[in-house]
Amino acid sequence: MNTKKKILSTAMKKYLILFLISFHGLWAQVQFEAKVSKNTLGLNERLRIDFTMNADGDNFSPPLFEGFRIIAGPSQQVSQSWVNGRSSFNKSYSYFLLPTQKGALIIKQAAVEINGQIYKTNPIKINVTAAVPQPRDPNEEPQISANDAIHLVAEISKGNPYVNEPITVVYKLYFSYNIGITNWRELNKPKYNDFWSQNIDIKQLVAEEGKYNGEKYRCVVLRKTVLYPQKSGKLEIEPLSLDIDVQVPTNRRNFFGQVQVVQDNKRVSAGSKTITVKPLPETGKPIDFSGAVGRFNFSVTPSKTSLKNGESLDLKVVASGTGNLKLFTLPKPVVPNSLEMYDAVHNEKVNTPLSGMNGQISDSYTIIPQFKGKYPIKPMTFTYFDLSLGKYKTITSPEIVINVLDGPTTENATVASNTGITKMKVNAGEQFRFIKLKTTLAAFHKKDFLGSTLFYILTFLPLLIIPIIVLLKKKKEAIDGDVAGNKIKLSNKLAKKFLSEAKQQIQNKELFYIALEKAMHNFLKAKLKIETSDMSKDIIQEILLSRNVKSEAVNNFIDLTKNCEFARYAPSSSVAIQQDFDKAVSIISELEKQIS
Amino acid sequence: MKNLVFIFLLVSQVFLAQNSFEKGNALYQKGNYEEAIAAYESILNSKKESAELYFNLANCYYKLNKVAPAIYNYEKALVLNPKDSEILNNLLFAHKMTIDEIKVVPKVGFAKLLRDFTGIFHYDTWAWITVSFAGLFLLFFIGYYFSQLTLSKRIFFIGMFVLVFLILMSTLAALFEKSHDTNERPAIVFAEIAQVKSEPKSSSSDVFVLHEGAKVYLHESIENWVKIELTDGSEGWIESNNVKSVK
Repeated sequence: MNTKKKILSTAMKKYLILFLISFHGLWAQVQFEAKVSKNTLGLNERLRIDFTMNADGDNFSPPLFEGFRIIAGPSQQVSQSWVNGRSSFNKSYSYFLLPTQKGALIIKQAAVEINGQIYKTNPIKINVTAAVPQPRDPNEEPQISANDAIHLVAEISKGNPYVNEPITVVYKLYFSYNIGITNWRELNKPKYNDFWSQNIDIKQLVAEEGKYNGEKYRCVVLRKTVLYPQKSGKLEIEPLSLDIDVQVPTNRRNFFGQVQVVQDNKRVSAGSKTITVKPLPETGKPIDFSGAVGRFNFSVTPSKTSLKNGESLDLKVVASGTGNLKLFTLPKPVVPNSLEMYDAVHNEKVNTPLSGMNGQISDSYTIIPQFKGKYPIKPMTFTYFDLSLGKYKTITSPEIVINVLDGPTTENATVASNTGITKMKVNAGEQFRFIKLKTTLAAFHKKDFLGSTLFYILTFLPLLIIPIIVLLKKKKEAIDGDVAGNKIKLSNKLAKKFLSEAKQQIQNKELFYIALEKAMHNFLKAKLKIETSDMSKDIIQEILLSRNVKSEAVNNFIDLTKNCEFARYAPSSSVAIQQDFDKAVSIISELEKQIS
Repeated sequence: MKNLVFIFLLVSQVFLAQNSFEKGNALYQKGNYEEAIAAYESILNSKKESAELYFNLANCYYKLNKVAPAIYNYEKALVLNPKDSEILNNLLFAHKMTIDEIKVVPKVGFAKLLRDFTGIFHYDTWAWITVSFAGLFLLFFIGYYFSQLTLSKRIFFIGMFVLVFLILMSTLAALFEKSHDTNERPAIVFAEIAQVKSEPKSSSSDVFVLHEGAKVYLHESIENWVKIELTDGSEGWIESNNVKSVK
């Protein structure tokens, strides 16, 4: 626009200036906007919002301010100024707002009508955080002197508890004697993240005397909470914020000289507190630790221990005492598979006073035995952390033996129900058998026979014997086949047989020759089958020759018989006797061969 | 003389062991199970055993509600005498006290038939059968070799072939049974609760949990871990001090 002006000729300038001035309002850009004092504020802080416009507008409609409460406003402000011949106009609507809830809040559009046209502001996002400690700002509420008269305090019983150790938070409101409280509202209920919390209801608020920072105050317990930290580390307890209507005395006095009071509204907040939660010690922590902290008794009681078939029994697992009863689970009994155990019925009888939970919790299991027999229920262990001792304590219940007196003992013992194959049935009426009274004890680890040397010997011996048998038989056959050799062997044998007597008498000359002669005669008798009476030398010679015996052999024989007769009376050496004997043997063998 | 002393010692030891057995029986009869166990154990300490001894010992443990030792000793008794009905019966009673319910997946097929057959006898019995068949073979050979009649010769000859077949069969049965015996290593879980892992590492994930008295079969082992198989076919690794081998 400025450049345009310069281009125009000076003659035209006068008129144009006049023209521009008269339409200044139209030519200037209309602005309508919302401004906030801050975009992020605590729950207990105030927010100022201004809707400003640079032209006069009508029909201003403010937004609804959801999530805020209007504590002042709207206040309207109009200013118009002429500076160096230029006018500026400003009109604003102001509000003071107090957030009523936390979170991201949006202030919606405000609208105004300027010169017949509707202008709107942009929506504004406001982030409301938890209550913040307020700087004592004397300008904020200058007319109230009650800032120091009301205090909200959160008292925490223990700053560094163990996990699951109960702590208490007590919110106390201290207020001085010279103010009155007419009403109070909780703006922000603290959420106890990472805590198990239980509020203790306070039926009637009772004011007591108390001291705050050494001054006397009245004191009201507003809220009591028992907290069980659920994890270790630094945990924050959110502050509690209250909106309190108070009656504050003023300096003015009424007609009767009494102090005049004004109603006022005050926000207090107990600052957020941080507690440091210690984890439970790892030393001595059993594997099956279920998280019980406190002081407990533990018992496992069956309703009966000996029962008949078809009856059921209740097994009650009870933990009682003080501690985080609602925050752990009881151990589950372990029973043999042939006992049918149903899911537990859980029962809690727990009171929660300020000192923490106490009472008892129990799990009741219904058990139905299926078969006759003796069933042990394993000892159950329950471990808790004893806060007063700072140690883990374990309670072990005794083993319970359930005796089922009668009923079927039939059972697919090694359970193969789905396959339909029944294995090793115990017949009805089967009993647990008594011990065996007789035994034969044997040493450990008998040597295996299989693979031992004896085994190999015994197995292969028959196979080795077979060739031996074959060989022996072969040899026998060979011997049988050799005719000549056999004959020699036979005649030698015969001669020896006949000469055996002679051999016995070899030391005695006379008897020897008698025996020798006799033997030779006997030999001939046996061989030739002749009578004794015919035993003359000629006949012998004749017969022998007729039997195809060579004359040489015959002569030898005759010579020997003659020699026998002769030698009987003649002296002869033992060498000669031996020679005669050997000769007799050879002659008999020879004859044996030759006689056909 | 030395021999005599030795024989005397041996006899006296046997006599003492026998005496302890009877003492144990008397204590059992009186219901004094703890002492009966001590008496029976003393026999085991002198390196003597019998199926009856393990059976009686197991009965004592059963009476004292000690599941794992009871089942362990019943199983040991069954190793020595696999078909005793009383042992099987009492083992069933002991099984009822166990926590785990492990299904038995029956084996089927040829392997099962084969095992049923070879399982008739212990492998040593099979060895003796082999030996006696070998002896018979020799007799048949002699009969064949020396008999004069053609018919009997034929019979003996065929008999020899049959016997060769029988010898082979019984030897194979013995070897099969022996390998089965060495490969099948049953064990009983003694730990009250034992985690079975997918890998032999304590950081590994649990496959399942076994309680005391459960019967498992051992396979290979590494460091202090051993691979086990259950009767239902599931497998895993367990710390070896949690189980006790029956054989």
